[in-house]
Amino acid sequence: MKLEWSVVWEYRWLLAEGVLVTIGLTIVTMAIAVPGGIILALMRLSKSRFLSGFSLCFVELFRNIPLILVVYWAFYVMPIFVGIELSAFATGITALALNVSAYNAETFRAGINSIRQGQVQAGLALGMSRFQVLREIVLPQAFRRIMPILASTWVSLFKDTSLVSVIAVGDLAHNALMVRSQTFRVLEMLTAMALIYWALGYPQAKLADWIRKKFEVKE
Amino acid sequence: MSSQVGQQIRGAGKKPILSYHNVMKRFGNFTALNGVSLDIYSGEVVCFIGPSGSGKSTMLRGTNALDPFDEGQVFLDGSPLPTSENEARHLRRRMGMVFQNFELFPHRTALENVMIGPVTVLGTSKDQAAKAALKLLDKVGLADKTQNYPANLSGGQQQRVAIARALAMEPELLLFDEPTSALDPETIGEVLNVMKTLADEGRTMIVVTHEMNFAKRVADWVVVFERGQVVEQGPPEQIFDDPHTERTRNFLSHLGWHG
Amino acid sequence: MGAPFSLRVNFVELDFSPIFESWRFLANGLLVTIQLAILCCIASLAFGILGGIGRVYGGWVLKGIITFYVDTMRSIPVLVVIVWIYFALPLVSGYSLPPFWSAFLAITIHVAAYVIEITRAGIESIRPGQVRAAQALGMSHWQILREVVLPQALIRVLPSIGSIVSVTIKDIAIASVIAVPEYMKQSETLAAQSFHPIEVFTFAMFVYFCILFPTTRLIDRLYRRLAHLGQS
Repeated sequence: MKLEWSVVWEYRWLLAEGVLVTIGLTIVTMAIAVPGGIILALMRLSKSRFLSGFSLCFVELFRNIPLILVVYWAFYVMPIFVGIELSAFATGITALALNVSAYNAETFRAGINSIRQGQVQAGLALGMSRFQVLREIVLPQAFRRIMPILASTWVSLFKDTSLVSVIAVGDLAHNALMVRSQTFRVLEMLTAMALIYWALGYPQAKLADWIRKKFEVKE
Repeated sequence: MSSQVGQQIRGAGKKPILSYHNVMKRFGNFTALNGVSLDIYSGEVVCFIGPSGSGKSTMLRGTNALDPFDEGQVFLDGSPLPTSENEARHLRRRMGMVFQNFELFPHRTALENVMIGPVTVLGTSKDQAAKAALKLLDKVGLADKTQNYPANLSGGQQQRVAIARALAMEPELLLFDEPTSALDPETIGEVLNVMKTLADEGRTMIVVTHEMNFAKRVADWVVVFERGQVVEQGPPEQIFDDPHTERTRNFLSHLGWHG
Repeated sequence: MGAPFSLRVNFVELDFSPIFESWRFLANGLLVTIQLAILCCIASLAFGILGGIGRVYGGWVLKGIITFYVDTMRSIPVLVVIVWIYFALPLVSGYSLPPFWSAFLAITIHVAAYVIEITRAGIESIRPGQVRAAQALGMSHWQILREVVLPQALIRVLPSIGSIVSVTIKDIAIASVIAVPEYMKQSETLAAQSFHPIEVFTFAMFVYFCILFPTTRLIDRLYRRLAHLGQS
């Protein structure tokens, strides 16, 4: 079998563009899903049964559906059903953000719940408002528990962005698969794609480990 | 030293079952044991007392090679303690150990906890092991709790199961590492009573303890540790009523002991 | 299709009849998903638990290899692994695997890495005192692992095993890209052929939810019943 690795170099700009889109998808999704997760977590913890019920349903729904299905759903169904038509990139972001917001909501809720009730009462006893207690006392302490999980969600998200390639968002996976089908250099392109993901993902995974060690709560 | 006198009377005509010669143990820069020499005779109850961190528990863990000594020699029945892990396993079958935190196996019932040693280590049949285990649980007063998991037992009950577990191996020697330190005050008594029964049977026991009343009442020999050394040893009457060294007096008075 | 950002809910067009008409086609897909899920879970648990033991007790070479494998799988998307195994591996090995077994291999390789991490965490969470107590009874290393450490570790990580099952089922949906006739692929096909993507994909969401939600709940409940057996 003759291998022609030059094909990878030949299409370097297309691959580089794919890398940028993959990174862009990750950053934009997280930028939406962190506030999204906080809002969902606060809804879940609120006294309103409607808000907490809505949040519960949202979170459980998107945690229990394959992301690739959400991507298809956002692509085929959302434009017709809800009447919103978006670019492929924005559709991909929507699907990813729905998924990651649900996971983040659980992360924030668990983080907030991990703070002992006595801490809240001590804050309230000082005359703080509920919001102040949350901001000044609960969230800073919950941060230690939340950060490591957010970091590992980030690593998962980075990989999951590859799934939006099925709706032709020009991310790394999509561009590499496209080059593969145009040039028939299957082994070269697929291996290059795997290696590029590895080179980008490995440091992130290690960083996530470092964050987990740094913030480890000793009990 | 007068303790030497006591030892001569105590050891008259017998060979010690355990004999420590100048044992040392370091953890990094910290010297946990700094040259301890000591004899223990068959059938004796020996209590190790002294402040926290004085090396008492380190002695026990060195004795059954869970944490082998760095230097010095220990003779069990006249032959030196083994150094390899494989031989250490044989050694440990001869000594039962009871831990401060019980360390029952949470995924096994009380009965299974007592059976696990004979079944896995000695290859005893399950029927036979179960029969023996029932007897032992009865002996420690837990005949009605055989099917309970550790999570459903009180601390005192767990520790009594742990004692039965150690006895199931039919050890020549029992090591107790602060067996009542993790217990609620109201359950300490039930554990000490079981230990008293074992002492009355003439079993050889080494007990690291903070229970001075138990030491005074049950021990044949008391060893006082401080900073990795033996400060004084002797019969309980000497240690508690007429301590020969200033450091023993200090230790006991810190505990509020007044004879 | 509506203009951008105009909200219009259109119930009139909803027609679920293609789903009922093609239920056998979808049911076959579901069966493939379940078969693949069971196979992948068994294989990745077996492989992952062994790997986890090696990761904790192995020599430095074995530990290094396992760590590298785990971190590699943590950094490469499962889609990439599936596509590589299906399209590229035959070019290297000379044997081509059918889509079903390609998916099985890729997903098992991927999920086993997570099982290794979970097993390692479980083993390392066992208090050293438990091992000491077993040692004090004279047990060998192997006996301690089999009788004391592993049973407790596996009970402790049950919730994580539950999420592994869920991840596996979701990963199998990704195998639709290599045309494994599992539920996701069948839904795509039906959506395209029937021109009713709304109904088909929405129904697929419902189906997946009905599988995944009870599965994770069931394992959580099992854990709550067994949790005390892992607490030392």
